[in-house]
Amino acid sequence: MSDLDHAISLLRSCKPIPEPAVRELCYKARELLIEESNVQLVDAPVTICGDIHGQFHDLMELFRVGGDVPETNYLFMGDFVDRGFYSLESFLLLLSLKVRYPDRITLIRGNHESRQITTVYGFYDECLRKYGSANVWRYCCEVFDYLALGALVVGAGSFVGDETEECEVEVVGVGGDVVTRLKRRDDGAGLMNAANPLQEGSASGGDGGTVGGPPGSGASGSSGGTKGVNNGAVLCVHGGLSPLVDSVDKIRLLDRKQEVPHEGAMCDLLWSDPDEIDGWGLSPRGAGFLFGADIVKHFNHLNNLTLIARAHQLVMEGFKEMFDSSIVTVWSAPNYCYRCGNVAAILELGEERNGSGAGAQWSATAGRGQGSGVVRRGPGRRYRVFEAAPQDSRGMPAKKPVADYFLVNITFRRRKPGVGGFSWALFRMT
Amino acid sequence: MALSVPNPPTTPRRVKVYELRNNDWFDRGTGYCTGQLVNHGSLVSNKVADIRGAQDEPHIQVKSEEEQDRMLLETKIIKDDGYQKQQETLIVWTEPHGTDMALSFQEPEGCAAIWEFVSHVQSHLLSISGADEILSDDANETPISSVMLPSPELGNLTEIEAMIRSASSTNQARDSLGKFVLSEDFIRKLIPLLEMAEDLESLENLHRLCNIMKMIILLNDTLIIEHIVTDEVIFGVVGILEYDPDFPSHKANHRQFLSDTSKFKEVVPIKDPEIKKKIHWTYRLQYLKDVVLARILDDPTFSVLNSLIFFNQVDILQHLQSNQAFLKELFSIFHSTESEPTQKKNGVLFIQQCCSIAKNLQGPVRTQLYSHFIQNGLFAVIDFALLHDDASVRIAGTDVLVAMIDHDPAMMRAFIFRQISDKQKPLTDTLIELLLGEQDLGVKAQIADAIRILLDPSTGLQVEGLGKASDITSRLHPRNHNADRETENFLKTFYDDSAKKLFLPLSELDNRKSLKGLSIAEVSLFSHLVDTLCFFVRQHAFRGKYFLLAENLPSRVAQLLQSPEKHLKLSALKFFRTCVGLQDEFYIRHMIKWKLFGPILGIVIDTMPRDNLLNSACLEFFEFIKRENIKQIIVHLGENYRDQMKEITYVDTFNMLILRCEQLQDTTMPSSYVQEDKSIRNHVNGARRWQGVKDMDAAEEEYFNTSDEEDNAPTPKDSPIKGANGSGSPVPKPLVDYADDDPMDTADESKPEEKGGTATPTKPALEGASSASPTTSPTTLSPTSQKSDSDVLSGAPTPERLSEKRRREEEDDDELGKLRNKRRSPTCGSGSVNVLTKKRGSGPGGSPPTKKIAINLAVKTSTGSSDGGGGGGDVTGDGGGEADDEK
Repeated sequence: MSDLDHAISLLRSCKPIPEPAVRELCYKARELLIEESNVQLVDAPVTICGDIHGQFHDLMELFRVGGDVPETNYLFMGDFVDRGFYSLESFLLLLSLKVRYPDRITLIRGNHESRQITTVYGFYDECLRKYGSANVWRYCCEVFDYLALGALVVGAGSFVGDETEECEVEVVGVGGDVVTRLKRRDDGAGLMNAANPLQEGSASGGDGGTVGGPPGSGASGSSGGTKGVNNGAVLCVHGGLSPLVDSVDKIRLLDRKQEVPHEGAMCDLLWSDPDEIDGWGLSPRGAGFLFGADIVKHFNHLNNLTLIARAHQLVMEGFKEMFDSSIVTVWSAPNYCYRCGNVAAILELGEERNGSGAGAQWSATAGRGQGSGVVRRGPGRRYRVFEAAPQDSRGMPAKKPVADYFLVNITFRRRKPGVGGFSWALFRMT
Repeated sequence: MALSVPNPPTTPRRVKVYELRNNDWFDRGTGYCTGQLVNHGSLVSNKVADIRGAQDEPHIQVKSEEEQDRMLLETKIIKDDGYQKQQETLIVWTEPHGTDMALSFQEPEGCAAIWEFVSHVQSHLLSISGADEILSDDANETPISSVMLPSPELGNLTEIEAMIRSASSTNQARDSLGKFVLSEDFIRKLIPLLEMAEDLESLENLHRLCNIMKMIILLNDTLIIEHIVTDEVIFGVVGILEYDPDFPSHKANHRQFLSDTSKFKEVVPIKDPEIKKKIHWTYRLQYLKDVVLARILDDPTFSVLNSLIFFNQVDILQHLQSNQAFLKELFSIFHSTESEPTQKKNGVLFIQQCCSIAKNLQGPVRTQLYSHFIQNGLFAVIDFALLHDDASVRIAGTDVLVAMIDHDPAMMRAFIFRQISDKQKPLTDTLIELLLGEQDLGVKAQIADAIRILLDPSTGLQVEGLGKASDITSRLHPRNHNADRETENFLKTFYDDSAKKLFLPLSELDNRKSLKGLSIAEVSLFSHLVDTLCFFVRQHAFRGKYFLLAENLPSRVAQLLQSPEKHLKLSALKFFRTCVGLQDEFYIRHMIKWKLFGPILGIVIDTMPRDNLLNSACLEFFEFIKRENIKQIIVHLGENYRDQMKEITYVDTFNMLILRCEQLQDTTMPSSYVQEDKSIRNHVNGARRWQGVKDMDAAEEEYFNTSDEEDNAPTPKDSPIKGANGSGSPVPKPLVDYADDDPMDTADESKPEEKGGTATPTKPALEGASSASPTTSPTTLSPTSQKSDSDVLSGAPTPERLSEKRRREEEDDDELGKLRNKRRSPTCGSGSVNVLTKKRGSGPGGSPPTKKIAINLAVKTSTGSSDGGGGGGDVTGDGGGEADDEK
């Protein structure tokens, strides 16, 4: 393990590791990931993170804010690479932590973990600059094919905060202070608008603590008795839902070891976005779909889920809950592309406190068939908001220049030169 | 020269003064605002000012309303268009030292009066300077935009910075400033200040210089950017940019990198000084783009940099490839015994770089380049490179080779034929030997790619500048016959002579009992071979099939299913999935005959109920068979593996298969007598090996004799399940096309005409539900909402996109649409997905109607799952099936 620890310490200081070490690491990771299921089961407590996009120093900031591995359990929802200047170091660090602490960190695939996308958005180019050949890129892409497509967090507690003040939602601001506490309201309204968390918090704080739901919701009365029972699970996926997947179990029937396809269930899971529409809509991205609140609620109900956590879309406030808190977007790349000016967030799910979480088992059918008397309550959620790493801690971000040149360095590569055998004609005809 | 400014507005106007501090507007107080003409010597006495009129300066003053003596604001109006009037009552500007200020008037009239004063002063100041220095027309037309900067000194950097900043806000001023910077050689004047500030260790000034330089570059003026990379100023420019105020505790080392670290390597002297200069400039542009400015570049400047680089490259390559003397000298390195090994190595890398750059150029330029290279002996260089000791040279060699195949496969094939007729070892064989022997796993992977690309029949079909024919259209329409014949010839040669060599390691598995103890290189070789097989199965219709079956390679691949290496098992599984995905009689019969479904089922049993990748991939395999209702296989499974399948209960797939099998045995016997007969016969044959093979060969012969026109769409006549396709079909269209709703169907779906018959007769009721396809082509939709989305992109790409309109990487966001034209699959499997996306537009039934977006599939998927032949367990549900039915 000392080789691995050495690699980790190199990577933690943002230094690339030698090519043979990358190969070794990727092979080990492959052996590990091949044993994971398409939807990996993860026990709470866990901290859920969104896109990283090669912003290494901000990833370190994330660890500073959220706690280091292995002390904190992490679940990263893909898009480790591209756009930032340190995709390689970021991805390899996460991968080496995965190999070192397999049970402490879960990595799932994002739409950027793909050969085609990385050739266009920077990761391929970065590998070429840093190693002079595409080998390392190949090794990494091979690993991408093995990454799980989603994760299911079970055993998450209903509340965050200390014993005296139990909250459903807590937002910890940039300075580390709690800026919002939101008590549970059983009408299902959560943090609708993260842009004004304070107002939102105080507005709903008034009736916090009341247990019964509004009349007619079917939630009143019985919800008091469901304490600690059947909190449901949280589905984590990079993009969103697919019209071809109506149950979590069906994700299990996919052969995920392939390049991200241009359509189909696997593509949708990595590419779709929630939107304020009814039903399904075509995505302007050209892959995946848009899906509305009805789809999310139906899916959650059917699968005994209380929340879907996903990434994939820049949110200026770092996170955004939608559709009565049935789905949340978590974005973990602050000042995206070094200039978007956004903050980032991570989502902490605690474990069930009063012991019932220990045996927490998720079953797709547990919540169904029991009528409306069962209230599935969303897990307690703590969002930690953070900013980009201080400038001084990171040096000046830049791409690594190529030192030797005969003519001119290879430029604006839109496609790979002669490797991979599949995509180098990508743009010729477009 | 006295200022003939209109009378300043002396009526005090009530106003609040704000100052921007740390991004917050700080209230400096409330007071009364007036315009004043002020003399330097005295702020108070207008009389003195009158006397010394030349010194009059227009000022804005605000006196505190609480303390009459206190000035809240005293500012000189400068010649600058940084003043803005916002709404009715607000004037905003930036002070020369960089502070943003705002006046908020109580009354709109007050605001208007002061604003009028400011405007007048400015137009005066500008017309004076315009008259002095710029006698051109535009001075008269747009006096307000001609921007002048004082000659730079350390003392006035603050002022200069503020002036440039405010000038940057309007296009006119930017243009004017750009002209000024160039005409006054302003950048060169800034450079001495760098050294001064460094000597004085005046970080403040260094930061100001850096800000000034950044703003000048971001003026996005092509001429300025061309200017800053010239020898005279480049070091000064990057030196100034080393002190980025965003990183106050850091200093970059651009000068050192450019002067020491970066090395221009000249394999053969480039004599033309202009070209040599261009090479350096281009490198520097690149460096600016990637390193110095990486963080701050805005889109327009990024594209200016890119297009400058591009046009330089065109010039450089044009020059080199037409310079015969240069080329002679370059290629003679490889013949000469005197040349140093490093020189040869660098020669290869140089050529690689040329070829790599050439990919960005227009087709004809590239053709010229290659033909000149080839005349001078490029192939010998490739040979040299492929056999080089140094892996990086081998990679470079393969790179060049692949670039050439990609550019013109016909050229490469012609070359290989010539080698064969000259009794030389053909390139194909060289590659095969390399693949088999190569130890460097990276090179190995690249060579495997090269072989696949060389043998890809679709590479011959491309016509530069036209939209690439999708696989499906190329299947439906007759191809260019010459290219076709040539490709066929080439493939024939390959299968006659080389294929056995390539797959020898696989064939040799026959004698091997255990797969334990394979070396890493061996494992990787096997997985490349199996991936290549997958590729051949998909791309080489009958020749590949004949070879595979004759060599009984599927059985060898099945051995790999026993490998302890799980990823090798996966590769092997993928191969069978590809075969089954084709729904090709011959593969299916072969697999049945050799009982190859058994080991796959074995993996399910070994891995269940652990829900790992291998297990999921196997489930997907059987799900596919179930969903596609491949009767032959279902019956075979039911007859041979019923007991094992019954044991697998954690998913319903296998029980459904058993059920389906029972139904088939009950009901389909009379109507598909032939098929059943065959499958039974095959089953029997399976036990009597050799007769089986013979039987197969006969079938193959018959197939080859009759299928000339259907190479790409084999539809064996003797199969009743294939009967429903084509125009002669009694059913004019597929009842339910499962293809499009198949989420993970990675195998070849490109032959819709082959599978119409697979629908069960219980389906027609579903046809009516033609609305609302989730699979409608995305291009029919305009983007909806989601403005915050970082990854959204506009519509379909245009043909010119690649050549000239190179846009910024960060800018052209993720959009899968433009990736759709990919041609080959990276590993086995995904190539056909591409086909799927195109199929809709060109299916045999004509073009589908354009769809509307708003679809509500949820209801269908959830409620419709119980009807239809697919059964509730289908991954797709019936919603997808309905939606797809779009005619």
